[in-house]
Amino acid sequence: MSPGEDLVRVDRLVKSFGNTRAVRAASFSVAAGEIHALCGHNGAGKSTVVKMLSGQEAPDDGAILIGDQVVDLRSRRVAQRNGVALVDQELSVVPSLTVAENLMLGDLRARWINRPRAAGRRLRTLLDSVGLAHVELDRPLGELGIGERQLIEIARALGQDARLVILDEPTATLSDVESAYVYEAIRNVAATGCAVLFVSHRLGEVLDLCDKVTVMRDGAVVATTPVAELTLDSLIVQMLGEAPLRLGRRTAADVEGAEVLTVSGLSVPGRVRDFSIALRAGRVYALAGQLGSGASDVLRAIAGLLPSASAELTVDGTAVRLGHPAGAIRAGIAFVSNDRKAEGLFLRRPVSWNLLATRLPQVTRLGVLDPRRWSEALAVLLDLCGLDRKRTTHAVGSLSGGNQQKVFVGRCLGRDDVRVLLLDDPTRGVDVGGRAAIHALLRDATDRGMAVLFSSTELEELGDLADVVVTMHQGEVVRRHEGDTADTVLLREMTHGASTALVEERP
Amino acid sequence: MNNLLSAPARPEASVPEPARRRSRTEVVVTVIVVLAVLAAIVAGLSTHRFATIANAKAIITSASLVGIAALGLTLITIGGSAVSLAISPSVAAVGMIFLSAQSLGLVPALVLALACGILITGLQGAVVGYAAANPVLLTIATSFAIAGLATGISGGETVSPTGTGYDRLNATPGGVALSVYALVVLALILEWTLRRTAFGRTLYLIGENRRAAWAAGLPVGRTTAVAWFAAGALFAVTAAFTAAFNTSANVNLGGTLTFDAIAAVLAGGTPISGGRGSALRTLAGAVLIAAVSDILLLRGYSTGVQIMVKGLIVLLVVILVHLRAKGRNA
Repeated sequence: MSPGEDLVRVDRLVKSFGNTRAVRAASFSVAAGEIHALCGHNGAGKSTVVKMLSGQEAPDDGAILIGDQVVDLRSRRVAQRNGVALVDQELSVVPSLTVAENLMLGDLRARWINRPRAAGRRLRTLLDSVGLAHVELDRPLGELGIGERQLIEIARALGQDARLVILDEPTATLSDVESAYVYEAIRNVAATGCAVLFVSHRLGEVLDLCDKVTVMRDGAVVATTPVAELTLDSLIVQMLGEAPLRLGRRTAADVEGAEVLTVSGLSVPGRVRDFSIALRAGRVYALAGQLGSGASDVLRAIAGLLPSASAELTVDGTAVRLGHPAGAIRAGIAFVSNDRKAEGLFLRRPVSWNLLATRLPQVTRLGVLDPRRWSEALAVLLDLCGLDRKRTTHAVGSLSGGNQQKVFVGRCLGRDDVRVLLLDDPTRGVDVGGRAAIHALLRDATDRGMAVLFSSTELEELGDLADVVVTMHQGEVVRRHEGDTADTVLLREMTHGASTALVEERP
Repeated sequence: MNNLLSAPARPEASVPEPARRRSRTEVVVTVIVVLAVLAAIVAGLSTHRFATIANAKAIITSASLVGIAALGLTLITIGGSAVSLAISPSVAAVGMIFLSAQSLGLVPALVLALACGILITGLQGAVVGYAAANPVLLTIATSFAIAGLATGISGGETVSPTGTGYDRLNATPGGVALSVYALVVLALILEWTLRRTAFGRTLYLIGENRRAAWAAGLPVGRTTAVAWFAAGALFAVTAAFTAAFNTSANVNLGGTLTFDAIAAVLAGGTPISGGRGSALRTLAGAVLIAAVSDILLLRGYSTGVQIMVKGLIVLLVVILVHLRAKGRNA
């Protein structure tokens, strides 16, 4: 097959989850030797397309064609056999194994008996092709840097005789230098005649690296455009649609309260550099940043969940020591994690237990539960977060994502000793109704004089909720926005940092 | 501001909650449990001399010593610390201390035994709670340390009582051994503590999701340590009764107690992963194992068969508990 011919074709793919149509009739094609970017804001449907291409989800309708043949990719293994290799956001290499062993992980050609020498030659060429000529095969992977590990992942994908290599945000957590290696490797991959599908939030690298860009919005393909015809701004307009200017953000100058929380010089090694902020009572602050921007790490550090973080932190003028969640909570900092299953809720326990888990001293007398206080406190919280009374005995794990999140947020509210509410991507995996309810809870929190700081990547949410938006990129603050700001500016800073000239900004 | 959610309609209100539906696994598990209970009743009734009061006393007496230690272990297991593998050497060491302190009188000797039991097991619990040590590895190490220390100090000799006060623990008021009363009273106290106190609630939450409990600011270290403290006290009670019953103590006093206690906890249906279980379940587990052993004994099976059946019971219950948990999550 010669370069330029369509190698992979996606034909009117459709996929629904419940009532939401995640992908509606998406079509595009990738030629051999082409680096093809798939762009779109959160929820545009690009990760669902990636999942269908890599055999993790079955399409409801439509077809995937590889080399003019319709393929049925039932599982990742079948997809692999058809020449589709996926390099995931999350590193899936094993630090304790050697480079060679990692390269052979999950290889379909691996036999019960390894023939090290023959395999060694093949792996050597693989490593060379991604620019890792200096790395020995028997080196433990743990000694390599994070960028080199990412390259090993790419080499592994190539070693599977891939015809289509999908890279899902391969550089999200990498530094610029490390990213440069990855770009070089991707160019080499394309030069061998592979089709490359590149998913990234970093629009600058998309424009530098790719040949064509397919933009998705609300599950549909907006356009496929050669990169030569695009600029950063026209790409952003494609992603967001018309009318990107947003007005009418709440101007909350009248509720300017006292400073509640101050953070100065917050650093998390490898994640966040020198972050500072001061939060005033009654206001909502947002950290806008994509995966790897450090927004989530800032919140986790303030909540005491990152022992490696360092900063000077005060609540109402009193210094708080980092690294101890119990200490942060005593100081009045409540945190809603984005991973409510692992570090939020007790899924097998009923709603009542979860809501009152952090309030046991208030509902007991001399350490013994007081049924009257228990049910009074419970009733207040149920009203506050709008949950059905009949549900109090149900295990939290049986509730919908939205209701689970309401329980989690509700647990942090309805008490006066909370001064600062931190929320990490509070509406992830939450339906529209639940989202509205959680937004209402946040506003209620500010009415009670709390300061709220949340992270989000959703422009609509940022616009609706926040009084102040701080954009972050690669561990650093890009800019602080107060009052009206165009979505395009925010998205540009989140995806691109402050490195290039900004479009005209309203004051 | 009251109900914040009055405006948006709740579309999921009409959707049946998944937990309400009974899955097929759950039905199968229930059927197996009912059949097993029926089989046990039939086996019991058809066994000569099983259904007599004298035999019932024998069963619960033999369950009582293991049962008290298993109650302590229940706290450890519910709190998410899996098991302690150092029960036998702790009981042996405390039993030796208890007997050699008899010259002080019964009550001081008991207090001393309790203090030593709390100290030995409580220290391990503090390390598990505050330093997040792996309880299995830690207690393997400490079981050697305790046994070694006890052997070194006693010179490997058997300790004889220095007084006769201990014999009052062998009393049988109302024709039932004192240890049986102790078992029942302690099980009730523990059950109440687990259900009705902040400590109990916190212990269940830590056992279910230690990381979430830590992130929520619950006193993970303190609660875990207190659970092990209480377990140490219960091991000490077991030690006192066992030593008094044997009227002498050496480093082998604990015997197979570690695994017997684990078997009782598991047979009661408390999952090893923590977050669930109860004192009454453990009580039932201990009695179940004692009753089955008793049936086999009365029917003239050898000790080997008794031990093997004990293992099968534990295996069966563990599989059923696992299936039920899976059926719920499905």
